[in-house]
Amino acid sequence: MTPADLLLLRGAAGLYFVATVIALSAITTRRALPERLLRWALAGGLALHAASLVWRSATAGYLAVANFGEALSFLGLLLVATFLVIQRRLPVLALAAVVVPLAFGLTLAASALKGGVQPLPPVLHSVWLPVHVGLAILGDALLALACSASVLYLVQDRRLKAHRVRGVHPHFPSLETLDRLSHRSVVWGLVLLTLAILTGIVWAHEAWRGPRAQNWVLDPKLVFTVGAWAFYVVLLQGRMAGGWRGRFAAQLTIAGFAVIVLSLVGVNALGLGRHGGLF
Amino acid sequence: MEASIVLIGLSHHTAPVELRERVAVPNGRLDGTLRELVRLPGVSEAAIVSTCNRVEVIACGPDGEALERMLPVFLAERHGVAVDDVTSRLYVHRDREAVRHLFRVAASLDSMVVGEPQILGQLKEQYARAVAVGSSGPVLHRCFHKSFSVAKRVRTGTRLAERAVSVGTAAIGLAKEIFDRLDDKTALLLGAGTMGELTARQLLAHGIGSLMVTSRTFERALTVARTLHGTAIPFDRLLRHLAFADLVVSALDVSEPALRGAHIEAALRERRGRPVFLIDLAVPRSLDPAINEVDGAYLYDIDDLQQVVAENRDARAWEARRAEAMIEGEVETFWAWLRGRAVAPTIADLRAHAERLRARELERHAGLLAALDPQQREELERLTRRLVNKILHAPTAALGRHGESEGLDSPLVHAARELFALDEPPEDGGDDST
Repeated sequence: MTPADLLLLRGAAGLYFVATVIALSAITTRRALPERLLRWALAGGLALHAASLVWRSATAGYLAVANFGEALSFLGLLLVATFLVIQRRLPVLALAAVVVPLAFGLTLAASALKGGVQPLPPVLHSVWLPVHVGLAILGDALLALACSASVLYLVQDRRLKAHRVRGVHPHFPSLETLDRLSHRSVVWGLVLLTLAILTGIVWAHEAWRGPRAQNWVLDPKLVFTVGAWAFYVVLLQGRMAGGWRGRFAAQLTIAGFAVIVLSLVGVNALGLGRHGGLF
Repeated sequence: MEASIVLIGLSHHTAPVELRERVAVPNGRLDGTLRELVRLPGVSEAAIVSTCNRVEVIACGPDGEALERMLPVFLAERHGVAVDDVTSRLYVHRDREAVRHLFRVAASLDSMVVGEPQILGQLKEQYARAVAVGSSGPVLHRCFHKSFSVAKRVRTGTRLAERAVSVGTAAIGLAKEIFDRLDDKTALLLGAGTMGELTARQLLAHGIGSLMVTSRTFERALTVARTLHGTAIPFDRLLRHLAFADLVVSALDVSEPALRGAHIEAALRERRGRPVFLIDLAVPRSLDPAINEVDGAYLYDIDDLQQVVAENRDARAWEARRAEAMIEGEVETFWAWLRGRAVAPTIADLRAHAERLRARELERHAGLLAALDPQQREELERLTRRLVNKILHAPTAALGRHGESEGLDSPLVHAARELFALDEPPEDGGDDST
């Protein structure tokens, strides 16, 4: 029997797939984006996705973001949610062509990985779980958004350079808009990442002290995250002081997210350190 | 019985502005003109479309030919213009042609700039006046509303309205793919010739924030800067001001490129990487093509722009054909409705005729029926009514069908009127012998 939360998650993945097809086909055939349809598909997917999370958390008795599959699912959820919020304020709906496939992939992977609800290891039983994981994953979602904007920036840059514009694509965000979105997402993503690291340190300090003391300072997850954090700090510094913009900044933003992905996939999937297997 | 629709008018296609402005119906006189129109004999409904590019009168009445004769005279006399002056410039469309023309106007296929959206608003406004005055009736009502929905379908279903068709609009379109807004951007015009001035003018019209002009003769730059409300810059200071320019439009007549990659790289450093869009309108080219290789610089020469324009023109022609096809379908639908409406009176006459016969026969045998009890009488009523309906069912269905495809020309309409003597005054009880 398939648990209800998994069914809901698959429904969400289905709707994200529909939205992916809508966005990509409109852009590759140079047609106007069917905006309302796209928004409805995304909002519908998001609703199912949220329902899945609520259901699972209710069954488990804690915010269901404790294992790798759950974390991927949560990342997909927050990515779609932040995108839906941002496209209301900036004309960047075409960014769906990058963001939504990503969200679809995350959700699909999550629905493949997610087993049944497992009892939480006692060490994770803490109010820090939702706080720390929520901050970290929201930060990751914003950095994923920054990466998506940068990918679209590079595509748009190439089109314009190659003079392959074929007239005007009124639904394509301008270079300036994409650059700014990427920059702001990195700023907020970095703030959240910082808070996630700090809460993680406080939590680890509490959890592994006294007789259970362990050396968590060299935990691979922490090392990778601090590495990515430093990378983004350099990027922001360069943007603000060195006038890094455009292509170079976009490439760095993508590279920074690659480190995040490494820390996600490498550390969690391979089960290294304390975050291994769990998140 | 059957309404004919006639549309007459003149537009930028047929008449010079001198004539158009003489027959134009200004807003203040629209209501009065409409009232006069519907007072004309044989005009049952009327509306007027009057914009700076066209003056059109559309009217309905039973006799299309009479309308075709009457409306041009009305238009000329109302404006004190010789009738011959008007008629030679006039187009006259009747029935299906008239409907098609109205649909094309609404969808902006007949506009000077095909696809421009203003015409629909003007049409709606002026039709609303016809409704307010009461000169519009059921036929025009449906016709105009259909034209609005057709226009909307064309707008959303084709990309007619989005295509740039001049070098200037193509440049604007590209600028919008680079910058998120134009009103805080500065354009730099190199070379104050006609071509450059024209393009700069278009940029300003599309909301570029400010303009700098430089030319090798400073006086010339001053003149152009003054007419376009820009700032003139001495040519030898060009490089100092380059960093302020978000858009560079060059129409310099030079044999060697005036700006090279290194200049732009320096400017971009000073701009802290904010992108710059360069347009080279000159032949031979006045900006080094290598500039396009610089990160953050996007250089388009006249060929690149013209290619964009040409592709848009092709695409536009294709989109226009799609739009015409959409309109054709809607004209047919409307026409079928109007024709179906045209046979409706015949069907009504037929039913009335049969009902009259039925009632009279029952009346004639009232004495006989008096012997029946109420229930039996009612049963008899129902029986006769059912009989009439059964007999009429096939003929009315056939009339409806043929009416939609052939209208009043349908031989069936004549046959029905002839066979049932619908056009003769109802006789009173002369058919006893049958």
